[in-house]
Amino acid sequence: MFDLFIFILLPLLTSVFCYFVKNLRIQFSASILVSVLHLALSLSVFTGYYQTNLPFFFGIDSLSKLFIVILSNVYFWVVLVSFSFLKRPVASKAQEGKKYYFLLLNFYLTANSAAILSNHFGMYWVAAEATTSSVAPLIYFYRNEEALEAMWKYLFLVSVGIAFAFIGILFLTLSAKGTSLEGQQLFFWEFIKNANQLNPIWLKASFIFIFVGLSTKIGIAPMHTADIDATSNAPSPIAALMSGSLRITGLLGVMRIFQIIQPTSSYEFAKVILIIGGLFSVFVTFVYMFKVNNYKRMLAYSSVEHLGLITLGIGIGGLAFVGAMYHAIYNSITKAALFLTAGNIHRIYKTREVDKVNSVLNLMPATGWIFLLSFLAISGIPPFGIFFSEIKIFEGMLFSDKPVVLFLTMFFLLFIFINMGRIIFSMLYKKGENDFQEVDKKQFRLIHFAAILLLILLVSIAIASPDVLYRNIINISKDFGINL
Amino acid sequence: MENVLSILFCLSLFYLAITSRVKGYVSVLQLQGVLLSIIVILPFLKNFSVYGLILPVTLILIKVFLIPRYINKIILDLDIKRVIEPTIQQFTFLLLVITSTVLIFVVSNILSQNTELNVIPFASGFSAVVIGIYVIIFRRKLIVHVAGFLVLENGIFLFGTAVASELPMLIELGILLDVFVVVFLMGIALNKISSTLSGFDVSILGRLKD
Repeated sequence: MFDLFIFILLPLLTSVFCYFVKNLRIQFSASILVSVLHLALSLSVFTGYYQTNLPFFFGIDSLSKLFIVILSNVYFWVVLVSFSFLKRPVASKAQEGKKYYFLLLNFYLTANSAAILSNHFGMYWVAAEATTSSVAPLIYFYRNEEALEAMWKYLFLVSVGIAFAFIGILFLTLSAKGTSLEGQQLFFWEFIKNANQLNPIWLKASFIFIFVGLSTKIGIAPMHTADIDATSNAPSPIAALMSGSLRITGLLGVMRIFQIIQPTSSYEFAKVILIIGGLFSVFVTFVYMFKVNNYKRMLAYSSVEHLGLITLGIGIGGLAFVGAMYHAIYNSITKAALFLTAGNIHRIYKTREVDKVNSVLNLMPATGWIFLLSFLAISGIPPFGIFFSEIKIFEGMLFSDKPVVLFLTMFFLLFIFINMGRIIFSMLYKKGENDFQEVDKKQFRLIHFAAILLLILLVSIAIASPDVLYRNIINISKDFGINL
Repeated sequence: MENVLSILFCLSLFYLAITSRVKGYVSVLQLQGVLLSIIVILPFLKNFSVYGLILPVTLILIKVFLIPRYINKIILDLDIKRVIEPTIQQFTFLLLVITSTVLIFVVSNILSQNTELNVIPFASGFSAVVIGIYVIIFRRKLIVHVAGFLVLENGIFLFGTAVASELPMLIELGILLDVFVVVFLMGIALNKISSTLSGFDVSILGRLKD
């Protein structure tokens, strides 16, 4: 019960607490305390110091162990910078958004933890829908027209998408008709154990519906538009949270059904669908990168690309699957650093348009350098983690039965790198006529500190390559029937 | 009995296709809520238990009272005009709806030969999902989109009862609550949209582009 309390009930209680206590500093202190506890517990569960025994519809396996660590890590950093973010002067309309910021953030943690720890499809669905409704008002933080439109689109499209995923879940029940699973609860492990009995037609239909429905949440093309709008218009900590943790939660649902389909005859079919989805996402990013005009959108598209790569890795299987799991961790850390620094740029330049941002390195050197480093990290330059995970994915592709995917992916990634680099270098170096009254050249803020620590974390995980992480990922691969 | 109710449910979808008033949509939602509640309550008439009443009562409360009232309130507050502003002709829309429904019934019948299926509720539910999507695509007003989304949700609910999935009570309640919260947030967003963007239809949502 203790773990359930820390993971799910405590954030919920804190969220109620934030409703009654209006003082931002107290709200922040409570939230940071919760996030530290959450992080500590998820790390001790991950390393095996604490044996969990979750009741009801919750349970833990290697996959949820990994994802809960990703969630609490990103969440911790986001909460850490949130207070200094909220202290900044904003337009008077946005003052209203501050009131519910920590309340929604804590509720998000509750919902997302519940989604990750659920071992029942119904529970997963309820929790995943709750993450949507907790994040949507946060997208509307700035209270301007763009944010409003983004919130509406996100709320509507993702809700419809999740409704589709529910149809998929019902199809899964149908596939169990006439087997020993009929009339049973929708527990993942029950279905995984008896997957061979399931009716293949309904199982395939179920996979398609769940994949298409949840891809609105994961941000896989062609369902990525609402996600792009939301991520690019949300305040930067929320964008970091969405890119780093919320998309992964959507991916979890797809991975669960993929795990069920794995021992059946429909496995190849599911793999092809994942590969198509992943490859198409990378392609869409490739096309977009030729006409970038908004740097936050560019970063959001970069998330589409990397989630596409992860999906691709899962679809290819083998070593690529292992790479995809590493990629999920590294991508979440890098995206947090990238969005936080991009938020810093937005704060000074007050625009998201690429053309109006120049000589960042001159005006705000700390932010500029961190932004450059984060860009190198996301592009897969060593020694940053993404290099190693991408290499694994590529190696897996090369030795799979579809090596042509590798060539396509590398071609797309090359141009994405060139185009993204062009934009970022013009933002950093190009001389322009920017006169800012209050440029804080020397100021070193908490956000810089957080972003640097995130980058250090990224490098050190990649170089130290902790044994516990490796073993966990190998266990996940075994759960997915991959023997290396 | 369930079949009769499902057919009524299907007929309400046809009404949806021909009505041109926003109020008509709200009444359809209310009617569908009542039908779904009766379907859920039927099994409990034979072996009555207070515990079993929780779900139907919540269902009635949310789908028959809270959500329709909330939508009506939004319509009144925002002074939304009473016609739905279709993007295609009503007759074409009706034709589309009927063709899809017939197609879904035929396909479900074929599918039921392999899997044990309760064809009428299954097909009615699925038709509602498809028609909900049509409403979202072919109507301009955002409030009608919300209604379309709710029709889709109702369809899934009916569909769920046909599949006879044994979802635990707690999760069923969670689903209802989630839908309510989402609609509630959509209502708030609509309010803001009408005040900041001064309009209620999709054409005003064109700021965000690549």
